[in-house]
Amino acid sequence: MTSLSGIYPRPEVVSPGAPAPLPRRGRGLTPYLFISPFYLGFVLFQLLPIAFSLYLSLVEWNGGPAMQFVGLGNFRTLIADAKFWNAFRVTLIITVACTLLGTIGALLLAVLLERVADWLAGLLRVIFFLPSVTSVVVIAYVWRQLYSTDYGYFNTLLEGMGLARQNWLGDPQLQLAALIVMLIWAGLGWDALIITAGLRSIPPELYDAAKVDGANEWSEFWGITLPLLRPTLTFVLVTGVIFLWGIFAQPQLLTGGGELRESQTIALYLYDVGFRYHKFGYASGMAVVLSLIMFVSGYLNFRFVKADVEY
Amino acid sequence: MARRRRILQYGIGGLLCLFAVLYLFPFVWMAAMSLKPDAEIYSGHVFPAAPTLEQYRRLFFGYEFKGLTLVVPYLDYYKNTVFVTVVSLALVLLTDALAAYGFAKFQFRGKELLFWLMIGTMLLPLYATLIPTFWLFSKIGLINRYSALILPGVVDAYGIFLLRQYMQTIPNELIDAAKVDGAGPFRIFWKIIVPLSRPALGTLAIFRFLFVWNDYLWPLVVLRKEEMFTLAVGIANMEMRQGMVVWGGQMAASVLATLPVIALVLLMQRQFLRGLTMGAFKA
Repeated sequence: MTSLSGIYPRPEVVSPGAPAPLPRRGRGLTPYLFISPFYLGFVLFQLLPIAFSLYLSLVEWNGGPAMQFVGLGNFRTLIADAKFWNAFRVTLIITVACTLLGTIGALLLAVLLERVADWLAGLLRVIFFLPSVTSVVVIAYVWRQLYSTDYGYFNTLLEGMGLARQNWLGDPQLQLAALIVMLIWAGLGWDALIITAGLRSIPPELYDAAKVDGANEWSEFWGITLPLLRPTLTFVLVTGVIFLWGIFAQPQLLTGGGELRESQTIALYLYDVGFRYHKFGYASGMAVVLSLIMFVSGYLNFRFVKADVEY
Repeated sequence: MARRRRILQYGIGGLLCLFAVLYLFPFVWMAAMSLKPDAEIYSGHVFPAAPTLEQYRRLFFGYEFKGLTLVVPYLDYYKNTVFVTVVSLALVLLTDALAAYGFAKFQFRGKELLFWLMIGTMLLPLYATLIPTFWLFSKIGLINRYSALILPGVVDAYGIFLLRQYMQTIPNELIDAAKVDGAGPFRIFWKIIVPLSRPALGTLAIFRFLFVWNDYLWPLVVLRKEEMFTLAVGIANMEMRQGMVVWGGQMAASVLATLPVIALVLLMQRQFLRGLTMGAFKA
């Protein structure tokens, strides 16, 4: 999945003091000088905004001089807000559909790519990777043209087969499916590449040993590949769900959220509330809830897939 | 047995090639559409019968429509994006490398706390800071400024991770030897650490380039003036301002915005795979 943070390779989290004890180098201020440019920005653009955001979630404020403290009022409003629950449902459907289908598809693709000649696999990987580096704006607008009711290519194809045109981006049911198909297309190559890296890290001796024991490829896949791929799949799923819960640009550009909010995600609703209606307090409350949802679903995926990986 | 294997390999190869052709179709559509004259935009055929560069010309020179000359400041979008990307990359690489070196090779008070604080907030979504950061920038009058685009993106904890991990593998003896020769900490950083970390810096630069070049939500929030738009926001805006005629122009704009990243992928294939495996997928 391409995303703001998902575009990075996974860093390995190791406690900073973990390896051999470091000799003290430099005296006093030196290390602080090295880290201070980062922490200056960190405090200004990360720490303070987060603190302010938490505070804002407890007030009513339109950006003007009047700021009214409402306690948990924003959260109470949120729980009773049908538009929020609609956005929650939409985002949940997108998240589940894309992670399930996308991960299975990427796994299949990665495994198959390992089976073809190296030169061909290299070329194909580049092709499948292209959407991951392409701007979401470009992707969404190309697909918008393909889906277009009057002149879109999908409807031209349907008509060629003697079928009726579809209102892909307007129809209440179809627009979510259209969005999901585009998202899976866009994320497939990225996930496949990460899974490829995971496949390469499986020791080949394990397969050799299994062959001696007379295992066929099918049982190799279920017995060796899949279990040893668990950490990789965990990573793909956790980054995937976090990215998808926060999805904004793709639905905004493809459907605008739909005439009747049929494809309005939480992030889209949040943007509307905050930047169109200037309800900064309420939007901040929603941001807090969205962060919690991301954290919880990321953690659940982590626990669920990662369970007993020892090998 | 070996023959069956070979047939299977060719079969899978053929299947994947077919899939790849279908997979590429949106890109083919984009390129083909950008080369169509107005008369063919809605023809229903994928490829233009009379290909032309007219859609590209209009991006830079505007076009006549009912006696009016319409201009999209596309060149501005491009310049803005290049400028923001270059400055942002330079700043991120510098601050990340400095901080990573601090964490990789020094022991100091509060190190654990500062480190975990960084990780903790790194996991938070953009939305957790979006509104206050926007408010801050509008308050100090930096809306529509390059600084508003660049500064928040300089905070990049992921990069520090990657670089720190790499710098930890640089032998301490090298640093000690330089010290004996009388080099100060910043000289050591510049003359030894930075050159030795070049592969990791390169990988980080690629990912960072892609992120800044394609970033959409934050620029959308802080940009109001068209001359300040980046490519992402500018192309998104083309739809809204000119209605239906714009399909061809939009695709031409998209092609030009995508070419640099495609070139990057083709040139840097190796670094990409290495970048992805750099975190080493250990349990």
